[in-house]
Parts: sequence; structure tokens; C-alpha cells
Amino acid sequence: MQQMEQQSIKRKHDEFSLPLPASAEVVVIGGGVVGCAIARELTRFTPDVVVLEKENDVADAASKANNAMVHSGMGEKKGTLKAHLNVRGNRMYDRFVEGLNVEFKRDGMFIVITPRSLSFPWLRWIPAWLVRQWMRVCLPWVLVAYGRGKGIKGLKRVRRKKLLRLEPNLTPEVISGIYDPNYGRISPYKLTIALAEHAVINGARVCLNTEVMGVRVEDGEVRGVITDRGEIATKRVVNAAGCFADEVARMAGADGFRIHARKGATLLFDKEISTVVNHTISELRVPLAGHSKGGGLMPTIDGPLQLGPTAIEVEDKYDTSVSREEIDWILDRFLYLIPTFPKSSVICAFTGVRAPTEQEDFVIGVSDKVKGFVNAAGTQSPALASAPAIAEMVLGVLQGLGVSRTLREDFDPVRPGKPVFSKLSDAERQKLVEEDPRWGHVICRCEYVTEAEIVNAIHGIIPATTVDAVKRRTRAGMGRCQGGFCGPRVSAILARELGIPVTQVTKDGEGSPLFCCESKDLLKEVV
Amino acid sequence: MRQTRQPEVAVIGAGPAGLAAALAAAQAGLGDVMLIERDLELGGILPQCIHDGFGSIVFKEALTGPEYAQYFIDMVGRSNIDVLLDTMVLDLTAERKITAINSRDGVLEIEPKAVILAMGCRERTRHQILIPGFRPAGVITAGAAQRYMNIEGLIPGRSVVILGSGDIGMIMARRFTLEGAQVEGVYEAMDHPGGLTRNVVQCLQDYEIPLHLSHTVTFIHGRKRVEAVSVAEVDADFEPKMETERRIPCDTLMLSVGLIPENELSRKAGIEIDPATSGPVVDERMETSVPGIFACGNVVNVYDLVDYVTQSAEVAGAGAAEYVLQGRKREAPIRVVPGRNVKYVVPQIISDFDRDISFYFRVEHPEKAVVTRVSADGEVLSQKKAKMVRPPEMVKAKAGPDALKDGHKVSEIIVDVNAGE
Repeated sequence: MQQMEQQSIKRKHDEFSLPLPASAEVVVIGGGVVGCAIARELTRFTPDVVVLEKENDVADAASKANNAMVHSGMGEKKGTLKAHLNVRGNRMYDRFVEGLNVEFKRDGMFIVITPRSLSFPWLRWIPAWLVRQWMRVCLPWVLVAYGRGKGIKGLKRVRRKKLLRLEPNLTPEVISGIYDPNYGRISPYKLTIALAEHAVINGARVCLNTEVMGVRVEDGEVRGVITDRGEIATKRVVNAAGCFADEVARMAGADGFRIHARKGATLLFDKEISTVVNHTISELRVPLAGHSKGGGLMPTIDGPLQLGPTAIEVEDKYDTSVSREEIDWILDRFLYLIPTFPKSSVICAFTGVRAPTEQEDFVIGVSDKVKGFVNAAGTQSPALASAPAIAEMVLGVLQGLGVSRTLREDFDPVRPGKPVFSKLSDAERQKLVEEDPRWGHVICRCEYVTEAEIVNAIHGIIPATTVDAVKRRTRAGMGRCQGGFCGPRVSAILARELGIPVTQVTKDGEGSPLFCCESKDLLKEVV
Repeated sequence: MRQTRQPEVAVIGAGPAGLAAALAAAQAGLGDVMLIERDLELGGILPQCIHDGFGSIVFKEALTGPEYAQYFIDMVGRSNIDVLLDTMVLDLTAERKITAINSRDGVLEIEPKAVILAMGCRERTRHQILIPGFRPAGVITAGAAQRYMNIEGLIPGRSVVILGSGDIGMIMARRFTLEGAQVEGVYEAMDHPGGLTRNVVQCLQDYEIPLHLSHTVTFIHGRKRVEAVSVAEVDADFEPKMETERRIPCDTLMLSVGLIPENELSRKAGIEIDPATSGPVVDERMETSVPGIFACGNVVNVYDLVDYVTQSAEVAGAGAAEYVLQGRKREAPIRVVPGRNVKYVVPQIISDFDRDISFYFRVEHPEKAVVTRVSADGEVLSQKKAKMVRPPEMVKAKAGPDALKDGHKVSEIIVDVNAGE
């Protein structure tokens, strides 16, 4: 171990907070998927971009805790900006992720029709057999036509027999369904981190642990952004502050919308049971209760299966709790689809808070009150799917405000990926161990994460300085034991690489220490 | 260059089970035994179990975990067992091919004649029992807390609520108290303690730590670090009675809510798993459904005493040696069936009923003044009186073919618990 200690580069903890730049061509407030996508698109034209994030990492709010689906637009109301950007964003995805070295799979989704799909009260006046026949024969075509009307291509009707052949564990009560080939799966936090790193490679600066306290506006024009670490002079601000976008807009005097928090809880299951479904499956439910697209059973790109999410209005924008009612709701709602579902295989429950406006639509564009203040707000789901289109739109707005329209010749199209031990062949593993013995030191037993990967994450372009940040980049602690075994080891590596005592290692930044003190310290207090 | 090694037996895991199994295999005459351990040192969980109470059966005295382990570690040191530390097994096939990796050798291909699985178990987490609330720092499993406190010298928190009265939970309640932390109480969903009676007395009562039976944690408060937990009484179906819910300020929630045998490798090798134990189905020599792959210790079933782990490992080690030296052909097995008030029995099958066999079993509910009985096709092979049987405490019964009146071929063995006179 000592030898390895010497090999690794020691850095002081506070060096990870970049010095605040004095000025920038564009300041993006918020390091979620939307903010980072905008920053990355901007760097194609100008390197002088600063992203401000108040948490210790990018993707540390809704972008880390959503259902990880690149929606097609099926769930959005026609005519809204959300529907338009969703359909467009979905189509842009393959090019959007090009060069990022983030896994993206577009393997579609089944929307299944079951006896409980329609719950209009007037249906009871119609004979049950007739309703069923209509749901079997006509409803799939209605859905296909509905989707086509929104510009969604490739929708197909799927008969019950085929559904049950492709998904043998599906409830036999299923009546029929459609297949939407546009749906994709991606890790939302890995995508966000990759976008941020790609932006940094191309000149942008991402300032973590930096909270915006005000926006300097003079003569109706943006002049700067005031943070808890100082001020940045700028003429253009992008407000991608998620749940807090309304507060940031108010700081600039550009208010006009209110964000209300709506949380969504999701259950995550052991990858061992991922084979109970082969595709993403959603159940048609109309009319929908609340503002959710209904969720579904979603095999995540990294293996574990997700069930959810819920949609609950909450007062507190930080309310990332999961309630007993939500757990029961998820199990009740989704286990109906897979009667044999091994629900005891749950390994995690988590919640993200959506950021909808009162109008339930995205708010994107330059403020009519403050020149240079551009909103990318109201970015609730499907913001992940819409991110490429939102970024494109915001870029257009900023170019209208003077940002260069000429593609940079020195733009580097590639954000290099790092090897992932669990996905390598034995020959590749052998080669890496020969180069660096830390590749042979498996730290996380459940997900097979090596010391080398953890060290890489800590010294990454956007450095991981907490246990959760390491987890998001490497999956260490994300498996079935949830860090029970690797927790002590990851904390020790973090302490060593950051050059801090292990008692200062946190789970998720300030206020979340893992330990209160060293052995015997409490006894001294008693005396 | 990738290395291939071909030992006679490879033991996966060097906790109490792996150590004893490797030694037993060597003692039975094997000269080339390999012991593979993912940690940096031998002993598994024992080095962090600094309390006493280990070895009352094997050594007839109360040892601490490190003492118990050291006996076997010294024995391994004196033997010619090939020990691979800091080595992670990545794959195991039904053909007994092991792929492992470490920093020194890189990828290792190991092709032993027999394999002994001794990976132990892991802890159930808050999510597996679906405790609602936030996900702050300060929610910790008992084994992890034990490692931090006893190995790393770090204290996870100063005011602690404990859920689950399993043995480690109670032992850690005492450990936190001795460190000067405040243990607000131990909460247990069942109406009886989850661990051994001696731990209720020595770890809780002696330190005046309250034990709240029929209670559970209903919510974890605190976004960054635990600020409080809500607890409530539960009804007979373990549903919380929300009207009894109360909030207890604390900075740590420690969980001792069960252990799960770690059988990821077993599943990779296609070994049959018993849903009752969550471990491999084994026969009287601890051989699994895959020929040449044996299993012992907590990977088979979570034992309550380390002594039983050692005993099962000695059987597995000898069985593996016998397999390597003599070969083995298993006939149609005899099923071992749990009877009245028996949850499960290990071994689950008997391939050769040619010797005395120890049956380890757990009862379904506590019962006083009972007779535990092993019978073959209705014929009682052995019976033993017991003052009390409780689900947390495993019961051991021995029986052999000598007790059979006419030595006929047995088709089924039943282990049951009946009311005594």
C-alpha cells in the first residue's frame, strides 16, 4: 500500500475548487444535464464559458436521480415546447453523445395495454367485451396515430402473443401494445459528467461549490454574476438552475415564472434479476393521475432494473426522501405487470426533484426584461431527452446576443473514455495490471471496481471528491451491498489521494461526514 | 503473461470457513491446497470481532475473534498451503475453472481438481428492508461500523439508534457505549430478540441499553447527515402502527437486520441454491449440486456460532480431499426434509449414508421442553431433549446409519421438533 501511496499524486483538497475567473463570455448557472449540455455546445464556438455549480459535483440533483430514459415524446402534450424539444432532442441523441464515450442504447420501449389502461368513468356504460375488443384491435392504432401526429416515427402495433413471447414474465392479462423504437437508455450522471468534462477539454471552466448570490444588472443589461466566492463579469447568463431557476431569475429581476418541486421516487433492483424483463416496459394509463409520464420497468444501461417514478408535489425543493406510500405505490403499480417479480431483490430507493413551472412547460429564451439573461428553466422530465435540443436552442439565442457563429477549428471532438474494469476482457485486464498494479486491486466486490478506476475518478477532469461522486463515476458502492464492504476502502483512498484525514471524507460534501471522530476521542469529551 | 495454476483444491475465501477447510484438506493428505482471499489478511470477519465468545465448542473456552482466527492462521502458516492474499475471484465455471486477479500476478487462471466455496455472507442494507426517508451519511450496517471502529479506529457517530437485535447489533451497541457514544436504544421488529440470549444480557442489560421489541424504524431524517429517525410499534404483520410513531434525534442509524450468504460465484457456476437458506444445496460431505465443488460456512447458511462454521468447513475439506484422492460417484440422493417446527436443515441431501452425520437446523418459532428427532422412513435414528429452542440459535443433531435396524436403503430423512414430556 505504501508503494501505491507514493505513486499517486497528492493534491490539496481545496485545489479542487477552481479559482473563480474574473470574467467570461457566457456564465451558465447550474451543472445539471441541461447546463452542461449548453456549456459543451457553446465550446464549439467559444472557449470562454464558465459553469457555476453550488454542489460539490455536477449532476448532483435531479440529473443524478431520474429514470435515465431518453423519451421519444409520446408522453408530452402536442403543441408544447416540451413536446417539440423532446422529439427533436431524441432524434439528435446519437450525434449528441458522439465522442463523449458514454454508453447510449436506443433499444426502444413497449407500451402495453392492460385491462386497467383505461379508467374513464363513462366506460362502465359500454359492454366490457366491446371495450376489450376495442382495446385489443383499435387502441394500439390510436396510439400509433397519436404519436405520428407529434412527429414520432417508427411506432408499431404489437400483438399480445408477440409481447408475451418477447417478455415471457409479463402478466397474461396484457391485451396488446405498441413498440416505440425511439426510446433510449443512458446513465444521466455519466452523461452530465462527460458533457462537463468535454466542455472543460475545450476551454470551459466548471466551478464547483460555487453558489450564485445575485446577478448584476445595469441599465437593463446583465453585467455580472455574484457568487459566494466572488464576482464574474459577463454580459450573458444562462439560467439552468433546475429547481432554483425561479430564484435565480428573481435575482436578475427577470422573474415571470415559478418553479414548484415535484419529487419522483424510484426503486432499483439487483442486476441479478435484470433478466425478468428484456425491454423497457411502460403501461398505458389514461387518464393519468398527476404529472408523470407514468414511468415503467426500466433496465438501466448499467444493469440494475428500475421501477418508478412517483410524482408527488412537495414544499421543499430539497425533499429527496422516499415515503412509505411511494414505495407501496411503486410496488403495487409495477409488480402487476410482472406477477413473478422478485421484489425482495431491491437494492436502493432514491428520489429526484423535478423542476416544473406552473404552466408545466419549458421556459427557454432570452428574458424580455433583462438583456443577456437567458432562461433554460422548467426543465423537468423529459429534460434528459430534450437536452440536445434545449442546448441547440439556447446556443441560437446566445449567438443572437453576440456569441460567435463560427465553429472553432481547435474544438476537440473527443472526451476520452477511461477503461472500465468490469467490461474488459481478461487479456485487457492483464495488460492494465502490468502497466499499473492498481488495476489488479478490486475494491468494490459487487460491481468489480478497481483501485485504479477510483484514483482516476478522484483525479478526473471534474474531480470526484466525495464517496458519492466516486460512486457515480465508477459504480463503487452502487451494487447489492451498497458500499458495506467497499465504503471503508473508498474512504481511505479518497483521504490518501486528496491528502486529507479520513475523518474529513464526506458522503456528499459539506455536512455529510462519514465519521464523527477517531477512536477514543469521545471518551476524552466525557472526562 | 497470464498464469495458469492447477492445485488439487482451491478454497475461495479465507475466513473461519476457508481456513479450516484448507487445513482439513491438507490434513486429509492433499499436498497442493490453494487458499484465495480478497482481503489483505487472513481471518475474514474475525479480526474485527474483538469481543469474546468464540470457540466454546471447538476449543472449549471463550476466545475473541482474533484469537480464534489466529489459531487457524498459525496452522496455515506452518502448513504448505499456498495463500493468495488481496486476490479477487472474478469467475467460477461448472468445470471448476476459476478466474482471479491481483496486483502482483495479474489475471490468474486456476484449474483445481476440487473447489471449496467459503465466501461467507454479507449484510442486509436499509434498502433491502425498504426503510423510507432520506439517504444521508450516518446510515451504516453493523459489520461496517465494527470494521471502522475496531480496525480503522474511526467512530461513525456519537448518538446511535440501532435497528435489529441480531448478535452483531447488540455487540455493537455495547461497543458504541464503551467508546463513549450514546446508544439511544435497540429496536427489533420481532417480539423476541434476534440474537443469542447471552448477548441480550451481556451487551444490553449490563449497559442499561433499552431494547424495544415489536418496533421498527419508519423514517430516516436528514438530507446530508442523519438528524433523527422515526420509530413506531409494529403489529403482528410487522406493519407499523403510525399512531405510535415518535421521532428520536440521533446522528447515526446502525442496522443489524440480517445476513445473506454471498453466492454470486455459486450462481455463476450454476450451483443449485436452496431458497430457504439462500445457500447451495449440499450433501453430507458439503458437496454442492456441481460435482467437485464443495461449500462450507456462512455461504451455505448463516450459522450462529463460528464453531459450527469450522465444523462444516472440516467436513468440506475432508470431502474435497476424498473427492480428489478417490474420486466420487454420487448415487440418487436421500432427501433431508424439515419436519414439524423446522425451517430448514443442512445438509439438504445425503449422497452416501455411510457415517454419522451432523444435521444443523433452525426452528420456525420458539418452543420450550422439546425433543428434536432425526428419523429415516419413519424409523427414529436419534433424538435429544432440549429445554428451549429459538429461531436465532441453530440446533445440531447427529445421526448415523448404524441406528438403522436392518440397514435398508433409506429414501427420506426427516428432522423435526416435537413437544417433550
